[in-house]
Amino acid sequence: MPEIHVENLVKEFGDQRALDDVSFEVREGELFTLLGPSGCGKSTTLMSIAGFQHPESGRIAVGDETFVDAARRIAVPAEQRNLGIVFQSYAVWPHMTVFENLAFPLKVRKLKRAAIRTRVREVLELVEMLQYEQRYPHQLSGGQQQRVALARALVYSPTILLLDEPFSNLDAKLRERARAWVKELQRTLGLTTIFVTHDQDEALSMSDRVAVMSAGEIQQIGTPEEIYRHPANRFVAEFVGRVNLIEGLVSANEGGGVLVDVTGSPLHLSVRDGAGASGSITIAVRPEAVTVLRLDDNSSNGTNTWEADVETVAFLGDHYEYEVNAGSVALTVQSSRRVEGDRIKVHIPPDACALVE
Amino acid sequence: MTTTSHEQSFPRPRRSLVPAWALHWGIWLLVVALIVGPFVPLLYASLRDRPLYEAGGVLTVQPYRQLFGDSAFWDAWGNTLMFASLTTLMAVLGGALIAILVTRTDLVGRKTLGRLTLLPILLPSLGMVLGWLVIWGPGGYLTAMFSDRLHLPTLAIDTIPGMAVVEATRLLPIAFLTCQAALSRADSSLEDAARSAGARPVRVLSSITIPMLRPALLNAATLIFTLSIAALGIPLLLGTSNNIVFVSSYLYNTWTNASTPDPGSVSAGAVMMLLVATALLVLRNRLLGAEARFVSVGGKSGRQALLRLRKWRWPLAGLLSFYLVFTTLVPVLGLALMSFVVVLTPLVPPWELLTSAHWNVLLDDETFRRSIENSAIIAVVGAVGTTAFVALATLVAHRSGFRFRRTLPFLMLYPRATPGIIIGIGFFWAYLLTGAFGDYMRGSIWGIMLAFCVRNLPLAYIVMYPTLARIGEELDRAGRAAGAGWWRTSRSIVLPLLKPAIFASFILMFVEIINDYDPAVFLVKPGTEVMGATMLAQFIQGAVGPVSALAMVQVAITVVVLSIGAKLFKIGVTGGDHGA
Repeated sequence: MPEIHVENLVKEFGDQRALDDVSFEVREGELFTLLGPSGCGKSTTLMSIAGFQHPESGRIAVGDETFVDAARRIAVPAEQRNLGIVFQSYAVWPHMTVFENLAFPLKVRKLKRAAIRTRVREVLELVEMLQYEQRYPHQLSGGQQQRVALARALVYSPTILLLDEPFSNLDAKLRERARAWVKELQRTLGLTTIFVTHDQDEALSMSDRVAVMSAGEIQQIGTPEEIYRHPANRFVAEFVGRVNLIEGLVSANEGGGVLVDVTGSPLHLSVRDGAGASGSITIAVRPEAVTVLRLDDNSSNGTNTWEADVETVAFLGDHYEYEVNAGSVALTVQSSRRVEGDRIKVHIPPDACALVE
Repeated sequence: MTTTSHEQSFPRPRRSLVPAWALHWGIWLLVVALIVGPFVPLLYASLRDRPLYEAGGVLTVQPYRQLFGDSAFWDAWGNTLMFASLTTLMAVLGGALIAILVTRTDLVGRKTLGRLTLLPILLPSLGMVLGWLVIWGPGGYLTAMFSDRLHLPTLAIDTIPGMAVVEATRLLPIAFLTCQAALSRADSSLEDAARSAGARPVRVLSSITIPMLRPALLNAATLIFTLSIAALGIPLLLGTSNNIVFVSSYLYNTWTNASTPDPGSVSAGAVMMLLVATALLVLRNRLLGAEARFVSVGGKSGRQALLRLRKWRWPLAGLLSFYLVFTTLVPVLGLALMSFVVVLTPLVPPWELLTSAHWNVLLDDETFRRSIENSAIIAVVGAVGTTAFVALATLVAHRSGFRFRRTLPFLMLYPRATPGIIIGIGFFWAYLLTGAFGDYMRGSIWGIMLAFCVRNLPLAYIVMYPTLARIGEELDRAGRAAGAGWWRTSRSIVLPLLKPAIFASFILMFVEIINDYDPAVFLVKPGTEVMGATMLAQFIQGAVGPVSALAMVQVAITVVVLSIGAKLFKIGVTGGDHGA
């Protein structure tokens, strides 16, 4: 299973730059996710790899096979790239049965009838759709169509697999099951996969590594934990999960971190990140990393523990969500604890603070 | 989950023998040759001091000078513009009114009435003009009855306003279709919102619905204006008695009747008409862009609350039926009657004048019989050929990476804006200049067929494009990813999904080609006659009876083919597809 190299892709639509110097590598057998809001260039990147978009410059290679090299005017036609792709709409051909859908790529490869039959049934069994082989797509549910689309993308043993928002047309319950199932299938087959989504939960739960994209550029590449806990910049912090952003000025460097004077407030924040930073910075704190304490609770040692006015408390089933003001600093806090009172204490652990700017 | 032989590898798909780019270039070049081809020699002919078939000759603007110096030419333009403006006004207002009545009100029998409204655009236009003439013309059956017997005023269809009425009844379906499409596309929640805001239904209609129709009205008006400028049958059949000449009939007369044939100035006149038509097409493209911005996407149509007409439900339905009867049924019945009597006159009951002589002419007369045969062959072969060719060209235009694909939609719509008579002149010159190929085409029915096909191919494109646009592009991308090249993907995936539109296009092409006539008037020769051209020539010689019989043949073929098509393939002429 080969690795994928994408180097310096640039793609323009009119005077709009859809891809601005996009580079990344996908390791063998990895599930690599392109995550970002719509219009960020993730689909354009995927379609460039598939051969349906033609970047103005840059290079795309899979294993030792070069698909695109704008400088050398190489652009392998989509049909010669031997990759499997599952589209957002599934694109299961409506005039063919499930069997015919899967047989088509093998017919194109001039396999014998008997060999086609064996292989199609084998893959249908893999996706647990064997009993539906004579059905037409309109007789299948969305989830079943998705399985057919995946089976069709796998039937000819593609070198890599591309998934373009494949779960966005499923309802919430089905979507979770489909995610787990696709992830397991991908791991079993060991197939190098690129997955495009705008859904951060999907990206975090399925991926080996994630590339967060915005405005045609890659903002950060990392494991789901890295992306979530150490967002490289403000965009990543805000796009992946919810976040409190606290602005301030570095007042001192202290053992592997900095001490920050919070802007417009007498409060200080001790941060175990950004050693060596100076000047004005922005700190990201996840709402669930903040703890809430009663006003008379002195269990925390005082560092990063602020008194705050409670604006609202909302009960959300498995947790409470607090909107509080610590002086002029507005914070959102998620906690399973219900702390009574209009005024409470909040504690921000220094290692839960990430420097984003 | 079973463990599989995913390690198994399959042969890579082989590249097809003919590369996709070669196919794309071939189709594109053919489109350009067929559509631009005829106009180049036309322009050339208009700039020469003598006909192209005479040796020698120099480039000159003399033909234009001569043409512009002829006051009759400017009179013809005046008449044409007056006629086209009146036609447009009546057709657009009528079409919009009927569209609102049948889509937004609870009119009795609105579905059926809506479908019948479409009929005039599909019936043979020359035959219908003839039908009008025998019934409502000077000395026509009902004219004589009303004015001589009852001393009632009747419509004088041999005047410009009268001719405009006749043409408006034919083109009204275009405005109707465009408005109907716009109305059913419009998001009904916009109207619901107005209702919630307290507006009464009539107010909703006047403040929301009708203003939303504006782009559709403009679009339909431009198309109807363009088409009515090109009308040839009407001035020839209805205008001659009062000596009312249009640009098209001016060119026709100059070519056929003048003692010294003067093709140079005819070509110059044709070029001028072409320029006007092209300008109108460009204008229309802009309007279409404006219309796209006006479309409210995502509305669920079909759930609109209908405006309740209450006591007007029946009277308005009656009025609409009355209109349809008098503009469609009566002329067709007039034709039928005319074809079975010696003379059609209210003075003698028709059953005393019955004769089968006119119909016998169709069988006995060499020219008439051959016309029917030729038309039938041309219509079948032409409809198959045009449909296949346009299907491929539409795929190249919208489903390929071909460099010049964006030129194809404009090219394929261009002949729609071009008067048929000009396409005829263009092909005439093109055949003259292309040696043995041209000689063969001029001497056979295929030359006429090609002109008819080019003239009507925009309609095939207009039918196919919306269906293609609804076939998700991911479906063919999935085919490409699976290893199929452009042609294999088109053949196995896109074309099968396009089948309903392909059948609809075939039916429409057959009907259009069998009823077409004006591109043929300069191309026919003894042996290559087609129905429409024969009707025109024979009418001018006074053979009204046999011509009526021939027109009835056209009407019968049209009605039969359309009903078969509607039955077999459930073709509803829906949306603004036909009008676009």
